[in-house]
Amino acid sequence: MKILVPTKRVPDTDQKIVASDDGSRVNVEHIPFIINPFDAIALEEAVRIGEQRGDVEVVAVGIGGEGYEQPLRTALAMGAQRAVHVRCDESLDPWNVARLLQAVVLRETPQLVIMGKQAVDDDANQTGQFLAALLGWPQATFASRVVVEGDRLTVDRETDHGIETVRLPLPAVVTADLRLNEPRYASMAGIMKARKKPLDVIAVGDLPVAIEPRLRVISYRSAESRKRGERVKSVDELLDRLTQPGAALHKRG
Amino acid sequence: MTQMNTADVIIIGAGVAGLSTAMQLAGRGAKVIVLERDRVGNGSTGRAAGLLGQLRGKAEQTRMLVDGLAIVKELEKLADVEIFVQTGSLRIAETPERAEEISALVEMGKSIGFDIDHMSIDDVARHLPYMRTDDLVDACYCPTDGHLQPAELAAAYLKVGKQRGVRCETNTPVTGIIVEAGQVRGVRTAAAEYFAPVVMNAGGPWSYLNAELAETVLPTAAIGHYYLTTRPDPANPVDRLSPAVRDRELRIYTRPESGGLIVGIYDAEPDRYDMGKLPADFDMSRMKAARDSLQVAQLIEATHHRFPWINERTPMTITTGIMTFTPDARPFCGEMPNIQGLFHCSGFSGHGIVQSPVIGLIMSQLILDGHSTYDVSSIEADRYFDMPGYIDRRDIEDRCAAMAGNYYGKVERPTVAAGGQAAK
Repeated sequence: MKILVPTKRVPDTDQKIVASDDGSRVNVEHIPFIINPFDAIALEEAVRIGEQRGDVEVVAVGIGGEGYEQPLRTALAMGAQRAVHVRCDESLDPWNVARLLQAVVLRETPQLVIMGKQAVDDDANQTGQFLAALLGWPQATFASRVVVEGDRLTVDRETDHGIETVRLPLPAVVTADLRLNEPRYASMAGIMKARKKPLDVIAVGDLPVAIEPRLRVISYRSAESRKRGERVKSVDELLDRLTQPGAALHKRG
Repeated sequence: MTQMNTADVIIIGAGVAGLSTAMQLAGRGAKVIVLERDRVGNGSTGRAAGLLGQLRGKAEQTRMLVDGLAIVKELEKLADVEIFVQTGSLRIAETPERAEEISALVEMGKSIGFDIDHMSIDDVARHLPYMRTDDLVDACYCPTDGHLQPAELAAAYLKVGKQRGVRCETNTPVTGIIVEAGQVRGVRTAAAEYFAPVVMNAGGPWSYLNAELAETVLPTAAIGHYYLTTRPDPANPVDRLSPAVRDRELRIYTRPESGGLIVGIYDAEPDRYDMGKLPADFDMSRMKAARDSLQVAQLIEATHHRFPWINERTPMTITTGIMTFTPDARPFCGEMPNIQGLFHCSGFSGHGIVQSPVIGLIMSQLILDGHSTYDVSSIEADRYFDMPGYIDRRDIEDRCAAMAGNYYGKVERPTVAAGGQAAK
């Protein structure tokens, strides 16, 4: 069995993210890049399925510029057997990422694609769904439990109504939610082995996909910082302030 | 404004060193302003494990830690909070050399009336059912050790300090130290000047940069450190009062934490940080270890050897932070000869939490009395002053990093009489 795990390289969003003054981009010079946390969960799940079954090849995929080699090495250290780097210096929207992934899937012919439900930088939550649609494969998004039995998958999905359990035939696309697992830190052996594992680079031009952007970023701006609280002297003053125009308890009309 | 910004002592840094000293100074009637670049206790203080091993290589260092514990117990009453958790502590040995270390430690401890003794491996196994013991040759146990809870400690210093009139301003980085004719006059921030005849530099890893503001070389270096915290595991319950363990051969220490275990490592080749190159708004609590960090892998491997139920698949949190090391792993406390009134209080080399209670007392004595009731010769700030090899930043970093790297790794020869650095 082959499992493909697309991974995105994102700025560590635990750091302070600030837009550039002209709004054309986000300043990331001082910010470390990490594997998108949801993709790390997807990778962990794939590695665990491999550890349980034994006959699994886990292939990590990254699409982007030079910096993508590092998260792919991390993926190899965590237990992927092989990595594919689609070298692309253009900025891509989820639609085009999904189309490129479709091309990689057609080359690699995995039985299962597991990826993060979304990337923490743009929070688009589209790529997995697009990919499943392009491939014509069933999809189980927001997975919190994945069980592989023969050529079938059972997946628990986290929905607003509760946990939904679905069964789907392979091949399929699964997107990982936060509670699926806790990704590991690589072992010494994992880090050593990763240095010798293959990391193939494919030029984006070698894939039969013409990039056709459908989204245009107009501007970035930083989130407004919360205004400092004030201390009031009494409950009466508090109520008075809360019922002023514009405040939470103000009655309109 | 200048009237408001005048004090007897200005302290740079609201970590445990600065806050403890502020509390002690205010207790003796001094007017103290603490200026903090970020938030209270958000530097090394907020990342510390807080292990308290009282028995040190020198009798005076041990006395300081024992007295510090008495200060903590008093502070617990004043602030109405639990800070000290008395778990007892174990040192374990897996080689004859390490066993000699332990014998020397026990002998030294007993000679000064300290409660410490060898413990049989069977008893160790009974105390710590979740620890591997089949490869041990000796161990010693001290029932009065434990750990201090760093956040509670910092909050208690601040609470009692404020009751005594300490003023603490957060998000206020110091940008200059005002010196006139060899005497400190105050400090500068982006918004204001603050005046005092005494300024104390308690900036932790940033303290060498603070010293540079007054053209002073402080030979400390910022050294990375890692520990893991496991989540409660029903199959391997860790009692809240399980003893702390120090395993110098594996370079690890451990203590219980909320039903799980903290395990930290003193790396042979630790990360170094150039604090001047970090962004101005660097926040230590946001530091994160990479999933394929070699240091974390080493930590997990050493941990797995001692606690076989912990491996890379174990749910855990990795905490990474920055320590302030010195070339001899002892802090710099006091003035240097070049500037009167500028006191340094930094370089605790991984032991800032547990030294802070008594260090606050010692610094207040040095500042207000000009001398201390303790023998401070081993921690004086000027012991490397103007010495070649301790001036160039690169050299200083090398020496401090070498000290940090050797910290647990090197076998201490039993030197009871000479009193080497025998224990953490």
